[in-house]
Amino acid sequence: MTRAEAPALTYAFAVCRGGDLTASAEPLAELPGFGTGTPVRTLAAGPLTAVVQDVPAAGFGEEALRRRLSDRAELERCARAHHAVITAVSALAPAVPLPLATVYLDDGRVREALGERETSLLTALDRIAGRAEWGVKVYAPTGPPPAPEAAPGDGPGSGRAYLDRVRTRQRGREQRHTLALRAAERVDAVARGLAVAARRLRPHGVEVTGKHRTHVLNAAYLLDLGRERELRAALASLRRDETDVQIELSGPWVPYSFADGGLVDDGAAP
Amino acid sequence: MTERDLLHPPSVTDERHPSDLAEILERVLDKGIVIAGDIKIDLLDIELLTIRLRLFISSVDTARRAGIDWWETDPALSSRAARDSLAQENAELRERLHALESRVGAEELSPVGAAGEEERP
Repeated sequence: MTRAEAPALTYAFAVCRGGDLTASAEPLAELPGFGTGTPVRTLAAGPLTAVVQDVPAAGFGEEALRRRLSDRAELERCARAHHAVITAVSALAPAVPLPLATVYLDDGRVREALGERETSLLTALDRIAGRAEWGVKVYAPTGPPPAPEAAPGDGPGSGRAYLDRVRTRQRGREQRHTLALRAAERVDAVARGLAVAARRLRPHGVEVTGKHRTHVLNAAYLLDLGRERELRAALASLRRDETDVQIELSGPWVPYSFADGGLVDDGAAP
Repeated sequence: MTERDLLHPPSVTDERHPSDLAEILERVLDKGIVIAGDIKIDLLDIELLTIRLRLFISSVDTARRAGIDWWETDPALSSRAARDSLAQENAELRERLHALESRVGAEELSPVGAAGEEERP
Protein backbone atom coordinates (compact mmCIF):
# COMPACT_ATOMS: atom_id res chain seq x y z
CA MET A 1 0.00 0.00 0.00
CA THR A 2 1.79 3.11 -1.20
CA ARG A 3 -0.92 5.72 -0.95
CA ALA A 4 -1.32 5.79 2.77
CA GLU A 5 -0.70 3.70 5.79
CA ALA A 6 -4.27 3.88 6.95
CA PRO A 7 -6.74 1.46 5.40
CA ALA A 8 -9.09 3.02 2.86
CA LEU A 9 -12.81 2.61 2.36
CA THR A 10 -14.70 3.22 -0.86
CA TYR A 11 -17.22 6.06 -0.74
CA ALA A 12 -19.89 5.86 -3.46
CA PHE A 13 -21.56 9.02 -4.78
CA ALA A 14 -23.66 8.03 -7.76
CA VAL A 15 -24.37 5.33 -10.31
CA CYS A 16 -24.47 5.76 -14.09
CA ARG A 17 -24.88 3.50 -17.06
CA GLY A 18 -21.43 2.19 -17.93
CA GLY A 19 -21.13 3.45 -21.50
CA ASP A 20 -22.45 6.89 -20.64
CA LEU A 21 -19.58 7.86 -18.44
CA THR A 22 -16.39 6.11 -19.54
CA ALA A 23 -15.70 8.48 -22.44
CA SER A 24 -16.26 11.63 -20.44
CA ALA A 25 -15.16 10.79 -16.92
CA GLU A 26 -11.94 12.82 -17.03
CA PRO A 27 -13.37 15.97 -15.41
CA LEU A 28 -14.23 13.90 -12.35
CA ALA A 29 -10.59 13.48 -11.42
CA GLU A 30 -10.39 17.25 -10.95
CA LEU A 31 -13.03 17.22 -8.24
CA PRO A 32 -11.93 17.45 -4.62
CA GLY A 33 -14.73 15.20 -3.38
CA PHE A 34 -14.11 14.94 0.34
CA GLY A 35 -10.71 16.54 0.02
CA THR A 36 -8.95 13.34 0.96
CA GLY A 37 -6.31 13.81 -1.71
CA THR A 38 -7.49 10.82 -3.68
CA PRO A 39 -9.17 11.28 -7.05
CA VAL A 40 -12.87 10.89 -7.64
CA ARG A 41 -12.96 7.94 -10.05
CA THR A 42 -15.24 5.56 -11.86
CA LEU A 43 -15.68 1.91 -10.96
CA ALA A 44 -17.19 -0.41 -13.54
CA ALA A 45 -19.69 -3.02 -12.36
CA GLY A 46 -21.31 -4.89 -15.22
CA PRO A 47 -23.54 -2.50 -17.18
CA LEU A 48 -23.23 0.09 -14.44
CA THR A 49 -20.51 2.47 -13.35
CA ALA A 50 -20.22 3.84 -9.85
CA VAL A 51 -18.54 7.14 -9.11
CA VAL A 52 -16.40 6.61 -6.02
CA GLN A 53 -13.54 7.96 -3.97
CA ASP A 54 -11.09 6.26 -1.64
CA VAL A 55 -11.55 7.69 1.84
CA PRO A 56 -9.60 6.94 5.04
CA ALA A 57 -11.25 4.50 7.42
CA ALA A 58 -10.26 6.81 10.26
CA GLY A 59 -12.61 9.52 9.03
CA PHE A 60 -15.32 7.44 7.42
CA GLY A 61 -15.79 4.46 9.67
CA GLU A 62 -19.09 4.09 11.47
CA GLU A 63 -18.10 5.84 14.68
CA ALA A 64 -16.22 8.66 12.93
CA LEU A 65 -19.00 9.32 10.47
CA ARG A 66 -21.63 9.41 13.17
CA ARG A 67 -19.59 11.94 15.08
CA ARG A 68 -19.03 14.07 12.00
CA LEU A 69 -22.62 14.02 10.82
CA SER A 70 -23.75 15.02 14.31
CA ASP A 71 -21.78 18.23 14.04
CA ARG A 72 -23.72 20.90 12.21
CA ALA A 73 -20.74 22.44 10.38
CA GLU A 74 -19.27 19.08 9.46
CA LEU A 75 -22.65 17.79 8.30
CA GLU A 76 -22.90 20.79 6.01
CA ARG A 77 -19.40 20.28 4.65
CA CYS A 78 -20.07 16.59 3.94
CA ALA A 79 -23.47 17.26 2.40
CA ARG A 80 -22.07 19.94 0.09
CA ALA A 81 -19.09 17.77 -0.92
CA HIS A 82 -21.39 14.86 -1.68
CA HIS A 83 -23.80 17.08 -3.59
CA ALA A 84 -21.03 18.76 -5.61
CA VAL A 85 -19.74 15.44 -6.94
CA ILE A 86 -23.23 14.24 -7.81
CA THR A 87 -23.99 17.49 -9.60
CA ALA A 88 -20.77 17.23 -11.60
CA VAL A 89 -21.44 13.61 -12.53
CA SER A 90 -24.94 14.42 -13.59
CA ALA A 91 -23.62 17.08 -15.97
CA LEU A 92 -21.75 14.29 -17.79
CA ALA A 93 -24.39 11.56 -17.82
CA PRO A 94 -27.70 10.59 -16.24
CA ALA A 95 -26.85 9.65 -12.67
CA VAL A 96 -28.71 8.02 -9.81
CA PRO A 97 -27.57 9.84 -6.66
CA LEU A 98 -26.76 7.72 -3.62
CA PRO A 99 -27.56 8.95 -0.11
CA LEU A 100 -24.94 10.74 1.96
CA ALA A 101 -22.53 8.34 3.70
CA THR A 102 -22.85 5.35 1.37
CA VAL A 103 -19.54 3.72 2.24
CA TYR A 104 -18.16 0.27 1.33
CA LEU A 105 -15.24 -1.70 2.68
CA ASP A 106 -13.66 -1.93 -0.76
CA ASP A 107 -14.30 -1.78 -4.49
CA GLY A 108 -15.43 -5.38 -4.56
CA ARG A 109 -18.26 -4.64 -2.14
CA VAL A 110 -19.41 -1.75 -4.35
CA ARG A 111 -19.57 -4.12 -7.34
CA GLU A 112 -21.53 -6.65 -5.30
CA ALA A 113 -24.01 -4.04 -4.10
CA LEU A 114 -24.54 -2.70 -7.61
CA GLY A 115 -24.90 -6.22 -8.96
CA GLU A 116 -27.64 -6.99 -6.46
CA ARG A 117 -29.63 -3.92 -7.44
CA GLU A 118 -28.72 -3.90 -11.13
CA THR A 119 -32.27 -4.06 -12.49
CA SER A 120 -33.72 -1.35 -10.27
CA LEU A 121 -30.72 0.91 -10.85
CA LEU A 122 -31.10 0.54 -14.62
CA THR A 123 -34.82 1.27 -14.28
CA ALA A 124 -34.07 4.35 -12.20
CA LEU A 125 -31.57 5.55 -14.82
CA ASP A 126 -34.20 5.19 -17.54
CA ARG A 127 -36.68 7.11 -15.44
CA ILE A 128 -34.50 10.11 -14.74
CA ALA A 129 -32.71 10.35 -18.10
CA GLY A 130 -33.72 13.55 -19.89
CA ARG A 131 -35.45 14.88 -16.80
CA ALA A 132 -34.63 17.17 -13.92
CA GLU A 133 -36.04 17.79 -10.47
CA TRP A 134 -37.46 21.19 -9.56
CA GLY A 135 -38.37 22.32 -6.08
CA VAL A 136 -41.43 24.46 -5.43
CA LYS A 137 -41.92 26.00 -2.01
CA VAL A 138 -44.91 27.97 -0.79
CA TYR A 139 -44.74 30.19 2.30
CA ALA A 140 -47.42 31.94 4.29
CA PRO A 141 -46.37 35.24 5.84
CA THR A 142 -46.87 35.32 9.61
CA GLY A 143 -46.88 39.10 10.08
CA PRO A 144 -49.30 40.78 12.49
CA PRO A 145 -52.91 40.70 11.32
CA PRO A 146 -54.68 43.96 10.48
CA ALA A 147 -55.82 45.72 13.65
CA PRO A 148 -59.45 44.93 14.39
CA GLU A 149 -61.77 47.89 14.52
CA ALA A 150 -62.94 48.69 18.05
CA ALA A 151 -66.56 47.85 18.74
CA PRO A 152 -68.60 51.01 19.35
CA GLY A 153 -69.70 51.58 22.92
CA ASP A 154 -66.84 49.62 24.46
CA GLY A 155 -64.01 51.58 25.91
CA PRO A 156 -60.50 50.44 25.06
CA GLY A 157 -59.98 49.30 28.63
CA SER A 158 -63.04 47.08 28.91
CA GLY A 159 -62.42 43.38 29.45
CA ARG A 160 -64.98 42.46 26.88
CA ALA A 161 -63.31 44.56 24.20
CA TYR A 162 -60.02 42.92 25.03
CA LEU A 163 -61.46 39.42 24.66
CA ASP A 164 -63.07 40.40 21.38
CA ARG A 165 -59.77 41.66 20.10
CA VAL A 166 -58.00 38.44 21.08
CA ARG A 167 -60.71 36.33 19.47
CA THR A 168 -60.69 38.35 16.29
CA ARG A 169 -56.93 38.11 16.06
CA GLN A 170 -57.05 34.35 16.55
CA ARG A 171 -59.78 33.95 13.94
CA GLY A 172 -57.81 36.08 11.52
CA ARG A 173 -54.72 33.93 11.97
CA GLU A 174 -56.64 30.73 11.38
CA GLN A 175 -58.37 32.17 8.35
CA ARG A 176 -55.15 33.32 6.79
CA HIS A 177 -53.59 29.95 7.42
CA THR A 178 -56.45 28.09 5.80
CA LEU A 179 -56.23 30.40 2.81
CA ALA A 180 -52.49 29.77 2.53
CA LEU A 181 -52.94 25.99 2.65
CA ARG A 182 -55.58 26.16 -0.06
CA ALA A 183 -53.32 28.34 -2.19
CA ALA A 184 -50.53 25.79 -1.69
CA GLU A 185 -52.77 23.01 -2.95
CA ARG A 186 -53.58 25.05 -6.06
CA VAL A 187 -49.89 25.67 -6.72
CA ASP A 188 -49.19 21.96 -6.29
CA ALA A 189 -51.98 21.01 -8.69
CA VAL A 190 -50.62 23.29 -11.41
CA ALA A 191 -47.03 22.08 -11.02
CA ARG A 192 -48.16 18.45 -10.94
CA GLY A 193 -49.92 19.00 -14.25
CA LEU A 194 -46.58 19.77 -15.90
CA ALA A 195 -44.56 17.03 -14.20
CA VAL A 196 -44.09 13.34 -14.86
CA ALA A 197 -43.88 12.73 -11.11
CA ALA A 198 -44.32 14.71 -7.93
CA ARG A 199 -43.37 14.27 -4.34
CA ARG A 200 -44.00 16.16 -1.11
CA LEU A 201 -40.98 16.86 1.04
CA ARG A 202 -41.00 17.90 4.67
CA PRO A 203 -41.66 21.56 5.24
CA HIS A 204 -38.76 23.53 6.63
CA GLY A 205 -38.65 24.66 10.24
CA VAL A 206 -38.44 28.21 11.48
CA GLU A 207 -34.64 28.05 11.59
CA VAL A 208 -34.67 27.91 7.81
CA THR A 209 -37.69 30.00 6.91
CA GLY A 210 -37.28 32.73 9.53
CA LYS A 211 -40.02 33.75 11.92
CA HIS A 212 -41.78 35.94 9.40
CA ARG A 213 -43.19 33.05 7.38
CA THR A 214 -44.39 29.47 7.62
CA HIS A 215 -43.59 26.82 5.09
CA VAL A 216 -46.85 25.39 3.80
CA LEU A 217 -45.68 23.45 0.75
CA ASN A 218 -42.35 21.82 0.02
CA ALA A 219 -42.66 19.76 -3.13
CA ALA A 220 -40.42 18.27 -5.78
CA TYR A 221 -41.44 17.73 -9.38
CA LEU A 222 -39.74 15.64 -12.04
CA LEU A 223 -39.90 17.53 -15.32
CA ASP A 224 -38.88 16.60 -18.83
CA LEU A 225 -35.95 18.79 -19.88
CA GLY A 226 -37.30 21.81 -21.70
CA ARG A 227 -40.53 22.07 -19.73
CA GLU A 228 -39.07 24.34 -17.07
CA ARG A 229 -40.08 27.34 -19.15
CA GLU A 230 -43.72 26.29 -18.77
CA LEU A 231 -43.24 25.78 -15.04
CA ARG A 232 -41.72 29.24 -14.66
CA ALA A 233 -44.57 30.80 -16.62
CA ALA A 234 -47.18 28.94 -14.59
CA LEU A 235 -45.58 30.02 -11.32
CA ALA A 236 -45.34 33.62 -12.50
CA SER A 237 -49.05 33.57 -13.19
CA LEU A 238 -49.78 31.93 -9.83
CA ARG A 239 -47.76 34.63 -8.08
CA ARG A 240 -50.07 37.23 -9.58
CA ASP A 241 -53.20 35.36 -8.48
CA GLU A 242 -52.20 33.94 -5.12
CA THR A 243 -51.43 37.05 -3.16
CA ASP A 244 -51.72 35.32 0.23
CA VAL A 245 -48.54 33.31 -0.25
CA GLN A 246 -44.98 33.50 -1.52
CA ILE A 247 -43.96 30.97 -4.15
CA GLU A 248 -40.35 29.98 -4.76
CA LEU A 249 -38.74 27.79 -7.36
CA SER A 250 -35.39 26.03 -7.11
CA GLY A 251 -33.54 23.85 -9.54
CA PRO A 252 -32.65 22.16 -11.69
CA TRP A 253 -31.66 19.45 -9.22
CA VAL A 254 -30.28 16.03 -9.94
CA PRO A 255 -33.46 13.95 -9.48
CA TYR A 256 -32.69 12.93 -5.90
CA SER A 257 -36.34 12.70 -4.98
CA PHE A 258 -37.20 10.40 -7.85
CA ALA A 259 -34.33 7.94 -7.85
CA ASP A 260 -35.93 5.27 -5.70
CA GLY A 261 -38.92 4.40 -7.79
CA GLY A 262 -41.56 6.04 -5.63
CA LEU A 263 -43.31 8.10 -8.25
CA VAL A 264 -46.48 10.06 -7.77
CA ASP A 265 -47.53 10.22 -4.14
CA ASP A 266 -51.09 9.81 -3.06
CA GLY A 267 -52.33 13.11 -4.31
CA ALA A 268 -53.25 16.42 -2.80
CA ALA A 269 -54.79 16.60 0.63
CA PRO A 270 -58.39 17.83 0.67
CA MET B 1 -37.44 38.21 -4.29
CA THR B 2 -39.05 35.44 -6.21
CA GLU B 3 -38.77 37.21 -9.54
CA ARG B 4 -35.07 36.54 -9.25
CA ASP B 5 -35.90 33.09 -10.50
CA LEU B 6 -37.14 34.52 -13.74
CA LEU B 7 -34.21 36.82 -14.28
CA HIS B 8 -31.45 34.42 -13.31
CA PRO B 9 -32.30 30.79 -13.81
CA PRO B 10 -30.69 29.23 -10.77
CA SER B 11 -28.29 26.39 -11.17
CA VAL B 12 -27.53 23.77 -8.59
CA THR B 13 -24.02 25.03 -8.14
CA ASP B 14 -25.11 28.56 -7.29
CA GLU B 15 -25.07 29.75 -3.71
CA ARG B 16 -28.65 30.81 -3.48
CA HIS B 17 -31.11 31.54 -0.71
CA PRO B 18 -30.84 30.62 2.98
CA SER B 19 -32.84 27.44 2.55
CA ASP B 20 -30.14 26.18 0.18
CA LEU B 21 -28.52 24.00 2.85
CA ALA B 22 -31.85 22.60 4.00
CA GLU B 23 -32.69 21.77 0.39
CA ILE B 24 -29.41 19.93 -0.08
CA LEU B 25 -29.76 18.11 3.23
CA GLU B 26 -33.29 16.93 2.59
CA ARG B 27 -32.09 15.50 -0.70
CA VAL B 28 -28.80 13.89 0.29
CA LEU B 29 -29.83 12.52 3.67
CA ASP B 30 -32.67 10.27 2.75
CA LYS B 31 -33.13 10.45 -0.96
CA GLY B 32 -31.61 8.43 -3.69
CA ILE B 33 -32.07 4.78 -4.32
CA VAL B 34 -31.52 2.75 -1.21
CA ILE B 35 -28.56 0.47 -1.59
CA ALA B 36 -27.10 -0.37 1.75
CA GLY B 37 -23.51 0.59 2.34
CA ASP B 38 -21.19 -1.47 4.53
CA ILE B 39 -20.93 1.36 7.01
CA LYS B 40 -24.28 1.94 8.64
CA ILE B 41 -25.08 5.36 9.96
CA ASP B 42 -28.17 5.59 12.07
CA LEU B 43 -29.92 8.75 10.95
CA LEU B 44 -31.84 8.62 14.21
CA ASP B 45 -28.62 9.36 16.01
CA ILE B 46 -29.66 11.90 18.54
CA GLU B 47 -27.49 14.84 17.50
CA LEU B 48 -28.26 14.44 13.84
CA LEU B 49 -31.93 14.10 14.69
CA THR B 50 -31.74 17.35 16.64
CA ILE B 51 -30.22 19.16 13.69
CA ARG B 52 -32.88 17.76 11.41
CA LEU B 53 -35.67 18.71 13.76
CA ARG B 54 -34.43 22.27 13.86
CA LEU B 55 -34.03 22.51 10.11
CA PHE B 56 -37.30 20.88 9.29
CA ILE B 57 -40.64 21.55 10.84
CA SER B 58 -40.13 21.36 14.53
CA SER B 59 -42.88 19.26 16.03
CA VAL B 60 -45.82 17.10 15.22
CA ASP B 61 -48.12 19.57 16.96
CA THR B 62 -46.83 22.53 15.01
CA ALA B 63 -47.24 20.61 11.81
CA ARG B 64 -50.74 19.43 12.68
CA ARG B 65 -51.77 22.97 13.52
CA ALA B 66 -50.42 23.97 10.17
CA GLY B 67 -52.45 21.24 8.52
CA ILE B 68 -49.29 19.49 7.43
CA ASP B 69 -48.92 15.82 8.21
CA TRP B 70 -47.76 13.94 5.16
CA TRP B 71 -44.27 13.50 6.54
CA GLU B 72 -45.41 11.89 9.76
CA THR B 73 -44.57 8.42 8.59
CA ASP B 74 -40.91 9.32 8.32
CA PRO B 75 -39.35 7.70 11.37
CA ALA B 76 -36.41 10.07 11.25
CA LEU B 77 -38.65 13.02 11.96
CA SER B 78 -41.62 11.61 13.78
CA SER B 79 -40.85 11.84 17.46
CA ARG B 80 -43.11 8.91 18.26
CA ALA B 81 -41.41 6.68 15.72
CA ALA B 82 -38.05 7.80 17.09
CA ARG B 83 -39.16 7.01 20.64
CA ASP B 84 -40.49 3.63 19.63
CA SER B 85 -37.29 2.73 17.91
CA LEU B 86 -35.22 3.88 20.88
CA ALA B 87 -37.42 1.90 23.25
CA GLN B 88 -37.02 -1.17 21.10
CA GLU B 89 -33.27 -0.76 20.94
CA ASN B 90 -33.23 -0.27 24.70
CA ALA B 91 -35.19 -3.48 25.26
CA GLU B 92 -32.87 -5.41 22.97
CA LEU B 93 -29.80 -4.08 24.75
CA ARG B 94 -31.26 -4.98 28.15
CA GLU B 95 -31.94 -8.46 26.91
CA ARG B 96 -28.40 -8.87 25.64
CA LEU B 97 -26.97 -7.42 28.82
CA HIS B 98 -29.08 -9.81 30.85
CA ALA B 99 -27.87 -12.75 28.77
CA LEU B 100 -24.27 -11.66 29.17
CA GLU B 101 -24.69 -11.15 32.88
CA SER B 102 -26.13 -14.58 33.43
CA ARG B 103 -23.35 -16.12 31.37
CA VAL B 104 -20.66 -14.22 33.28
CA GLY B 105 -22.45 -14.98 36.54
CA ALA B 106 -22.52 -18.67 35.76
CA GLU B 107 -18.84 -18.68 34.90
CA GLU B 108 -17.34 -16.66 37.71
CA LEU B 109 -20.02 -15.81 40.23
CA SER B 110 -19.90 -12.10 39.46
CA PRO B 111 -23.48 -11.09 38.79
CA VAL B 112 -22.73 -7.57 37.56
CA GLY B 113 -20.16 -8.50 34.96
CA ALA B 114 -19.73 -4.88 33.92
CA ALA B 115 -16.00 -5.12 33.31
CA GLY B 116 -16.43 -7.05 30.11
CA GLU B 117 -19.10 -4.75 28.68
CA GLU B 118 -16.54 -2.39 27.20
CA GLU B 119 -15.88 -4.74 24.36
CA ARG B 120 -18.67 -4.67 21.91
CA PRO B 121 -19.36 -7.73 19.82
